[in-house]
Amino acid sequence: MKPAELKDKSTKELTALFNVKGREPLLEKFVSMGLPDKKSEEYRYFDIEKLLDAEYNTLDYIPKPIQEGDKIEIVDGVVTTAPKGLRIYYEQCDAMDMDHFDPLYYLGHILSPNVIKIEIDGDAELELVHRFTQSNALISYRIVLLNQSNRHATLYERFIEDEIADTLVLYGYDMHIAQDSTLRVVKTQHMQKQRYAMVASHKINVANRANALLKSFDLGGDLGLQLLKVDLNTYAHVEAGHLLYLNHASRRGTVSKIVHKGQHSSSQQEAKNILDGNARGIFDALIKVEHSAKYTKAHQNSKAILLNKDAYMVAKPQLEIYIDELEASHGSTTGQLDEQQLFYLQSRGISYVEARKMLVIAFANTLIETVKDSRHQEQIKAAFEKAFYQGHTKDEQ
Amino acid sequence: MSKLLQIKDLHAKIGNKEILKGLSLDLEAGKVHAVMGPNGAGKSTLSKAVVGHYDVEVTGGNILYKGKSIKEMEPEERALEGIFLSFQNPVEIPGVNNAYFLRTALNAKRKHEGKEELNAAEFLRAMKQHLEELGMKSDMISRSLNVGFSGGEKKRNEILQMLILEPEVIILDEIDSGLDIDALRAVSEGINKMKDGKRTFLVITHYSRILDYIEPDYIHVLKEGRIIKTAGPELVTKLEAEGYDSIEEEQ
Repeated sequence: MKPAELKDKSTKELTALFNVKGREPLLEKFVSMGLPDKKSEEYRYFDIEKLLDAEYNTLDYIPKPIQEGDKIEIVDGVVTTAPKGLRIYYEQCDAMDMDHFDPLYYLGHILSPNVIKIEIDGDAELELVHRFTQSNALISYRIVLLNQSNRHATLYERFIEDEIADTLVLYGYDMHIAQDSTLRVVKTQHMQKQRYAMVASHKINVANRANALLKSFDLGGDLGLQLLKVDLNTYAHVEAGHLLYLNHASRRGTVSKIVHKGQHSSSQQEAKNILDGNARGIFDALIKVEHSAKYTKAHQNSKAILLNKDAYMVAKPQLEIYIDELEASHGSTTGQLDEQQLFYLQSRGISYVEARKMLVIAFANTLIETVKDSRHQEQIKAAFEKAFYQGHTKDEQ
Repeated sequence: MSKLLQIKDLHAKIGNKEILKGLSLDLEAGKVHAVMGPNGAGKSTLSKAVVGHYDVEVTGGNILYKGKSIKEMEPEERALEGIFLSFQNPVEIPGVNNAYFLRTALNAKRKHEGKEELNAAEFLRAMKQHLEELGMKSDMISRSLNVGFSGGEKKRNEILQMLILEPEVIILDEIDSGLDIDALRAVSEGINKMKDGKRTFLVITHYSRILDYIEPDYIHVLKEGRIIKTAGPELVTKLEAEGYDSIEEEQ
């Protein structure tokens, strides 16, 4: 399959290609938005056309018996392992967002008529491993995540790939965070060069008085974009933190739209970006405060450190506000390492190269240390340091 | 008496402004030298020039440490050789754990001296006594470097670094600024503990208060980028009474 060939196809032609019975509005939405290209606002800084223009093998998503294990494992879009007692099953998705900004959100749903549904009981702490084993494949799957009211659950997500090449992964969540609950999702993804590219298009609905704590730690090379749409209801809160450490010619980042719909809702979004080689980081984030969202608090910030003269950061924090009764701020800085801090370390006998490394790791740690669980915090620190020491281009003084 | 650090006809500028205009100063081993002077005289520039700060461009003269020029050395090389500056305003570095920083600095020094590096447990054992002496809470070394520290805590942390790195030339830039009496006493005790008849101290200060705690052997008056007078500790009393304007340059 060559996704680019879906461009300019009519609803009728697409209906003949995909199983969309009962989901026709989804197809119409996709047709009206069209496939993204370099002119599309959300993909402007990401080379989506090249990815969509390649020929991929498609996979048969045949559900297998789920083995009992200590974590959820999804291999090439199929659930293979899950903890005992966890409700995880395939089902047609019945609650899609018909107002998502990303056409690939709709394409993902079209390609995945059955989604993986995970119902998290109580105050569970789950680990989800995505594994990719196929080269030249289009791996497409979607997950619906549900939690329970008045509960505080956590999902740790990470990615493993075999020695594959040139695969495209389209996946994403539809998360429904129940009222008065908290859902933490901590994603760590260390991508290797030219193994797979990923577009992850998510929708997160945060119900009244619920909290969504979303942390993403995107490390290494290659192409990856996460597109988040978050709807906040009354007294709902989202705290989103994104760490990027990119090297080589990587293009990765976050495109997000946080929509304040309910009164007293609040959002706090922070991006920390460390760019090496000739990497390009993307933080294109819009916070929209609707008329209905009085007394909102909305803050977003992006900081980027460029470690190489060829590295580049696209930082576009944006606020779109339709009311007066709110507290809002946004900001963005891009620069080098702090000279004073660097000198202070050197003045204690620490070499220039080591001091730079300490400061880069420190910059990342301020976000990593917001992960409360110490074991996972240490794992993320180790993953970051591994990516940094592997990928850091030669220091030049 | 041997001269540990010799500053010879030093000219230095920050940006386009010449601050040090032919400054000469010899620091003797085992002695405490106090440099006093009015605002803008060049006191902090002198300390920055000695440690190789990026702000300062040395345009003339030389700085000799144990008879060898350090003018072209990187800041970390000067530190490893034994030159230490206690900063007037130590920077905060969020995300750098204080203990990790101290151990990295100590191990860099040990490696330079051909000694074995300390592991985390050995390091913490070595630290314990210093922390107690300085009245520092043990959690201060588990926090980010200087982040959220009061003025006094930052200065104690500077002295802690001095104690573990055991430098030979110790430059204290306005060490007493922002300190209450208790903190001043603790910091001074830490400094006095380092006096061993071999190390040299260069105390840079506006006021004589710190000199009640760290007794100087020599007072140098720095004015308009040059040392204009050198005398014994009795000069402090005259400066307190009559100010810097009363001092005339020695020929």
